[in-house]
Amino acid sequence: MIPSAFDYASPVSVAQAVGLLGERSLVLSGGTWAVPEMNRGEARPTVVVDLRRAGLNRITLSGGTVRIGTTCTYADLLASDVVARHLPLLRAMAAGITGGQQILNQGTLGGSVAAARPSSDALAVMVALGGRAVVASADGERRVKARDFFRGPRRTALGDRDLLVALEFPTAAGLRSGYVKLKHGQSSWPITTAAVLLGPLDGQGQAMVVLGALAGTPVVVGGIRADSPVTEVELATRQAVDSVSDLWTDVLAPADYRAAVAPVLAVRAWRKAAVPAEGRRS
Amino acid sequence: MSHEQSQLTIRLNGCLRTAPVDCRMLLVEALRDRFGVTGPKVGCATGDCGACTVTVDGAVTKSCLELAVAAEGTSVVTLEGLADGAELTCLQRAFWDEYAFQCGFCLSGMLFAAQDLLSRTPHPTDAEVRLAISGNLCRCTGYDTIVLAVRRAAETRPHS
Repeated sequence: MIPSAFDYASPVSVAQAVGLLGERSLVLSGGTWAVPEMNRGEARPTVVVDLRRAGLNRITLSGGTVRIGTTCTYADLLASDVVARHLPLLRAMAAGITGGQQILNQGTLGGSVAAARPSSDALAVMVALGGRAVVASADGERRVKARDFFRGPRRTALGDRDLLVALEFPTAAGLRSGYVKLKHGQSSWPITTAAVLLGPLDGQGQAMVVLGALAGTPVVVGGIRADSPVTEVELATRQAVDSVSDLWTDVLAPADYRAAVAPVLAVRAWRKAAVPAEGRRS
Repeated sequence: MSHEQSQLTIRLNGCLRTAPVDCRMLLVEALRDRFGVTGPKVGCATGDCGACTVTVDGAVTKSCLELAVAAEGTSVVTLEGLADGAELTCLQRAFWDEYAFQCGFCLSGMLFAAQDLLSRTPHPTDAEVRLAISGNLCRCTGYDTIVLAVRRAAETRPHS
């Protein structure tokens, strides 16, 4: 039993949910992190605002933007044709979420983004895809770019009275993608992740490499293009790692280990994106 | 808003049931302590071990990650709702025949994870079985007999 007392609320609209937020409120999306945290006494809210009846569980495509409601679960993402067609990188990430079908059914992308745990899969992928957080408050709705949203370990642009209602992504159909994560046990949190997006197959265009669980916030690797050779990708990743001042350390791995594996993972993810699956050795 | 005690009504293993719950209770605690079904176990209470797995509205769920009050109006199936009286399900029979459990603590969760897999993938590969039970820990069997049991169930269960 959760040790501290709280009021439980299950609002049926965003306006109702926003009205309940305050300094000591806790928003429940999937609950996979927040509920055990309360159970351990690490979070002691006075009000728990359960979003799951607030109608935030839809995935829609409109004008080149995919909008994913905060309470969409990883299973919802995997069942979505829109995600499969327009955000294959997000789909690849969701397919590798740890914890079995139960966690796919219960965990939510919005909850992971709002919790902003450095070792989460979701953060770097959100940055790689150029995602935006749709934030509601009493003053109305605003959008925050992923790169501005993550402020530090477990710190985001969300204030006490802000509610994350959805995530928006520009469609990435036609872009090639690769996602790789290192973990040493099936049920482990990731030690470091690499997300890669490459422009169309003509060899030109954009390239995005973002490393997760490496630092307090996702690390973007700059200075590479879709036609860069892997040696350049590795070098650019090393340079990006060297410039990080807040390398992440936890019980799974120290900072220098994460720094050492990051370039290897970046190259693996790059190869996944660059080489069609049928031409790959593994 | 609810504070402290409130009434929770769920359809539990097919029967409509109501019990008083504290809003601080986890679903697994309410199932065991208020509704008297002890199939779901409290292992880690962090969502890692899967011993508390049940289905909520048909979806396999770790019931230690849910507040009991959040389950209002849902349909919950626990281990007690699987067998038809004394008649084990095909999957339970396969676990029995393959010695796929020893202490039994993980068994309820394993059965739900395996049942969920077989409902989506009637003839899974061993790799698919291992992935499907990756959210469930067993500290007795080393998993091999569990994989054998799921394979046996896939071979023997009736298909519609």
